[in-house]
Amino acid sequence: MREDRSPGSDSLFYGLFLGNTWSLDPTAKLVQDNPCLTEFITSVLALPEPSPSILSFTLRLAGILAASENRFQLLQQEKLLVRLFGRDGPLNSALWEDASVRSGWVEGVHSMMHHQPALRFLCDGGGIDVIFTLQGDPSLFVASAAGQLLVHMLTLSVESEMTKPLSTKDCDWPACAQMIIKRIEDSLQSSSSSHIEQSLKLLTSLFGSCRATWTEVLWLGIAKQIESFLTEETVQAQHMLANLLLSMAWSPVFCDTEGGFWALVTSALEHLTPVQAGPLAVGLLRLYKCPQDVRIQALTVLLQPMDCILRAASQPLEYAGLLDESVSDPATVESLLSSKSSCVSLLCQTLAHLEELLSLIHLPVDLPYTSLLHSLMTILQFCNGFLSPASPLGSTISRILINSFRVQRSALDVLAALSERKGCDTLLGSLFDVLLAYLESPNTSPTVLKKTFQATSKWLVRLQELSCSNSQWQQTEKILEDVFLVLQKRLCSPCWEVRDSSLEFLTALIKCLRDQDEFRQSLLSSEVLKLTENLLEDPESYVRASAVTAVGHLAFITYFAPESPAIGNQYNKENTVAKLQEILSTDPEGFPRRAVISIFTKWLRQGCTGQLEDTERFVSRVIQTVEHDLDWEVRLGGLELVEVFCSQTICQLGLPKCPYAPVSSAVTSSIHQNESLHIFCRAKVFNFLFQSLCDCDKPVGQRACDILLGLRCNFYPVSTLKDSQGAEDSRAGRSVAWLQRTLRQGSLAQSFPTDGGNGVDFQDPESMLLALGTIDLEELHDELNKSSDHVEKSPQSLLQDILATVGTIEENEADCY
Amino acid sequence: MPEIKVTPLGAGQDVGRSCILVSIAGKNVMLDCGMHMGYNDDRRFPDFSYITQNGRLTDFLDCVIISHFHLDHCGALPYFSEMVGYDGPIYMTHPTKAICPILLEDYRKITVDKKGETNFFTSQMIKDCMKKVVAVHLHQTVQVDEELEIKAYYAGHVLGAAMFQIKVGCESVVYTGDYNMTPDRHLGAAWIDKCRPDLLISESTYATTIRDSKRCRERDFLKKVHETVERGGKVLIPVFALGRAQELCILLETFWERMNLKAPIYFSTGLTEKANHYYKLFITWTNQKIRKTFVQRNMFEFKHIKAFDRAFADNPGPMVVFATPGMLHAGQSLQIFRKWAGNEKNMVIMPGYCVQGTVGHKILSGQRKLEMEGRQILEVKMQVEYMSFSAHADAKGIMQLIRQAEPRNVLLVHGEAKKMEFLKQKIEQEFHVSCYMPANGETTTIFTNPSIPVDISLGLLKRETAIGLVPDVKKPKLMHGTLIMKDNSFRLVSPEQALKELGLAEHQLRFTCRVHIQDPRKEHETVLRVYNHLKGVLKDYSVQHLPDGSITVESILIQATAHSEDQGTKVLLVSWTYQDEELGSYLTSLLKKGLPQSTA
Repeated sequence: MREDRSPGSDSLFYGLFLGNTWSLDPTAKLVQDNPCLTEFITSVLALPEPSPSILSFTLRLAGILAASENRFQLLQQEKLLVRLFGRDGPLNSALWEDASVRSGWVEGVHSMMHHQPALRFLCDGGGIDVIFTLQGDPSLFVASAAGQLLVHMLTLSVESEMTKPLSTKDCDWPACAQMIIKRIEDSLQSSSSSHIEQSLKLLTSLFGSCRATWTEVLWLGIAKQIESFLTEETVQAQHMLANLLLSMAWSPVFCDTEGGFWALVTSALEHLTPVQAGPLAVGLLRLYKCPQDVRIQALTVLLQPMDCILRAASQPLEYAGLLDESVSDPATVESLLSSKSSCVSLLCQTLAHLEELLSLIHLPVDLPYTSLLHSLMTILQFCNGFLSPASPLGSTISRILINSFRVQRSALDVLAALSERKGCDTLLGSLFDVLLAYLESPNTSPTVLKKTFQATSKWLVRLQELSCSNSQWQQTEKILEDVFLVLQKRLCSPCWEVRDSSLEFLTALIKCLRDQDEFRQSLLSSEVLKLTENLLEDPESYVRASAVTAVGHLAFITYFAPESPAIGNQYNKENTVAKLQEILSTDPEGFPRRAVISIFTKWLRQGCTGQLEDTERFVSRVIQTVEHDLDWEVRLGGLELVEVFCSQTICQLGLPKCPYAPVSSAVTSSIHQNESLHIFCRAKVFNFLFQSLCDCDKPVGQRACDILLGLRCNFYPVSTLKDSQGAEDSRAGRSVAWLQRTLRQGSLAQSFPTDGGNGVDFQDPESMLLALGTIDLEELHDELNKSSDHVEKSPQSLLQDILATVGTIEENEADCY
Repeated sequence: MPEIKVTPLGAGQDVGRSCILVSIAGKNVMLDCGMHMGYNDDRRFPDFSYITQNGRLTDFLDCVIISHFHLDHCGALPYFSEMVGYDGPIYMTHPTKAICPILLEDYRKITVDKKGETNFFTSQMIKDCMKKVVAVHLHQTVQVDEELEIKAYYAGHVLGAAMFQIKVGCESVVYTGDYNMTPDRHLGAAWIDKCRPDLLISESTYATTIRDSKRCRERDFLKKVHETVERGGKVLIPVFALGRAQELCILLETFWERMNLKAPIYFSTGLTEKANHYYKLFITWTNQKIRKTFVQRNMFEFKHIKAFDRAFADNPGPMVVFATPGMLHAGQSLQIFRKWAGNEKNMVIMPGYCVQGTVGHKILSGQRKLEMEGRQILEVKMQVEYMSFSAHADAKGIMQLIRQAEPRNVLLVHGEAKKMEFLKQKIEQEFHVSCYMPANGETTTIFTNPSIPVDISLGLLKRETAIGLVPDVKKPKLMHGTLIMKDNSFRLVSPEQALKELGLAEHQLRFTCRVHIQDPRKEHETVLRVYNHLKGVLKDYSVQHLPDGSITVESILIQATAHSEDQGTKVLLVSWTYQDEELGSYLTSLLKKGLPQSTA
């Protein structure tokens, strides 16, 4: 490695190698026992011009080694650390220009920073200055790592070097902490906005990660200065302040205090621009420990743009708005919303924040849901040009927003989230007008349409809940009719994204509303059924898969419904099952086949496949179709189906499903055992399971093994497992012994003999019972559960690769695809 | 001064995981969103935390552009859009949109299968991500929003690969993605018009290489395959389902046809049909020859290459098998390799790069005893060959593209630092433009000189030509007028017209200067001395002594007063309009020198 002839991927090697080094023994013994480690560092230092990547690696390696105090002392004795991290090291050489060297230096220092000697080593050697400079590094990664390092050092210094608790009057910081704090204070007072920004970032990260009381002492020393940034126009650090205050608000050290801190937060909400204050406001609203007045103010910041929209769209005095105007001055927001450059971004930010709030299960504040919904509808109407108000502000905003996909997407997300909240019911009628207009409009882009579908399905569920209690079914019926009409159209769209979203929408609706009469009637009387079945032959595989899922769910309200409605002949159950079977066996792509197998499993789970005999035939057919599927996830799906089938069969025949269930009498149990074994053999379950153990795709083998272990539990109580030695006398015994040997090799080679298994009769219940009892499934299970990574990513493999790669031909180096 | 900022999050002085952020005229664009095949932890994806620091992703980024379907350019996309939370538009060409999900799905399946990872993007996420993609045509100008527009150019390399021009106002950046300047058997060469971007971001994989002729490599490949088959051996060619595989298939198919060979050629995996389907569907993206012969014979309908069945691997006798995946890290190619590795008559040909840790990488670096799962040791006796068929532009090609596009600046990505350094010097020498090569996480700032178009009023133009200014491209001339900036447009008009249009009254601006001179005489006598002096010096000008005691020289007015404290000093007040600035300054300096004694 030192010679650095390894090819282009060298930094990858080093990264992987260091990843392994972390788990090393912490004592000094490691370095003593492996003199090559120090020799390596020494010889890299002796190189006249080491390559940046090898130097960076050495810095990081040395840092990791020096993480333990013993090894640190050892490296110090050899003067290696000072040559690497001190003034005479790389930091004063031309190599420092290379970002990877600086990055290695910072990472190395960070790794070693676990004890006082390391702290002192760095502070005494002037390292703090270097790190402060690196905060402004042109490389973002170095800069951010330097900031993190300072936070780490400050915390380490205070927490390990402090002799007595700090008080606000007597700030007796330990030496290293003192140096860092002094630098922070100086840069906050400097006129350089980049220095101020770096310090604010550092403080944000400190208060975010450290919740000790000393952070308050630190804060009190700088609070005044930071407060002044809010009002001083000359310093452009406002956007950083919101982050700082937010990280403080989450810290118990600050949020429990009376007065001071919250006054500053209030002042920030007043002084920052709406865009800067937004993230702070939403963060505050998520807090439980936030004074009520601050909360109200934060809410005002967040709702102001929405309020402004409402006022812009209505006649004067017609609508009171969301907010009491005396609380806030709407002029700033109005001017932002009426400017082309800021309107969309302010609205999108506000909407995203509202969505974030609405997605919380427990919201510490009450939002004015009805007005919010009204405002959202207004925005959506502005965007599709359905509303152009007379007021000057309204007409400006509506001109800006027309056709803005960004705003449409954000507004629809909030709309969907809002459906979970109660209290917007009066506007439902007009809400569906807006949604239907979007669903119908040819101008709606596929992504916006998808979001409209999502919002619509959520609000339809809400509508159904209401119509049950309110007997508004006439309105519901009309809305459903309209929805299915537009769905029919969308299912025929030339754009596959639209067809797919339409099918997903249909499935979502069936999942939630299949028990509702009005829904079923409207759906069945529409053309949607026929169109959905047609899409089983869509040229796009994603669409075919979604159609399979939709058809599978439709079956719950047609063929599998208790009182199956009379529908046309072509939609009978047999046809559909045959069609899905056909897809499973012939579709050239994995998605539709996977969809079929998962629908079959769903049907089986819900007991839709009929009597046990029908089910047996059904499962057997499916197994034969999927066992040779090229897509391992289809085979895995097949195993899932088998698992459900097995547990249902055992359950139906009265065998206990778990060892704790009451055990039926021995005689009936053995009869039933026999019967279920016969069923499994007839359905070719064992064939599939045993062959899957040697599947070339590991998850399949693992799953098969789990199922077999489960079956064994059912057929053998723990104490009665057969001894494989004595069983070889019978024919069955011999073939099972062969199977055992084959499985052991086969699961490793990941292939089962192609001749089908040398006389093992997978349909013979006796052999299979014997196989279950004698084959060491636990051993196979452990073997299969070992990830292939243990070979590929092991240190040995890495080392072999590094050694082997040195001197490989040049051309391989930077080749790629 | 307007600036363009470029920050590579991946592909900065490195190959793999391309992801470049560009800020141009207030718009932020992400170019490619790739993954690193060598890592299987967080490091495999670019570090997006830099972007999330700037607020919400969707608000910060205006769009994402994907250059082609290779995973080091698009592998992180579902993670970025469905897990990190980017919800904005994504652009790629039609073939890329069609093929990208196949490779992502393949990658997902292998990752979940081999590594048992559960916290990984799902099929549904890949689909949801692809539904956000807006597909673009070549040379179609796509308006991302009112200001930002993008345009795709043909890049060769793989089916659907494109270079993208990103333009805001008059500033523009071209991103090449991976490209190839020489046509191959199934694709054409990259092409771009002379769009003179402010910045060209180019890949530089082969920054220092002048590649030998493709023909040699092909001949070598065919010879090796032929020899092995002749001596009864089996040839395994691990490939990715799309891309080089089709190139090699065409190569072997034509060779088999020509030589009338009988040994079977197989192409494994169910992806074959789909791959060939896309090659047929996007025939316009292939090269001219394929397009021309398409009507008589579709080059992607192979006569000699048949679908592979697992059982064929055990068949006796020679055969050639193309199997996926390309790095021998899982699946069918690895299975076949295990079966054939022990026979020295057989051969494996690796046609592309393999990442560390994979069996492909191990055998390429010369390891002959491989530890397989279950502590088995596999001895590799078969021949191992490496042949690069990856289609990147070499140094010559990169220079050729720069010549074509004539950028004002060049920035190199997707290459190794040392090699980039060499190419950077070459580019700077030959084209006299600045060339940059930022490392990952480093921001390069490029200042641009935007040319702003201004309309000139006919009146002004006529007036200027009347005074003898004939427009000439080679000799730029100064033209005076009033610039009106209104409704996002600039117009240069005559001052009179501007006043009229804007309804403004004209104001006179006068400059005033005080000059002190030592003269004990009365004020009117001093004035007279000044008058005489000026009259004598400024013979060609109209110098007048007015009755109120002041002097005028053209529009310049001179008045004299006695100093309030010192009667021996007279203060001359000189005042002139800005049009007579030159004469006014001259007069002031003249008077400052004092009055000549002779006039006394």
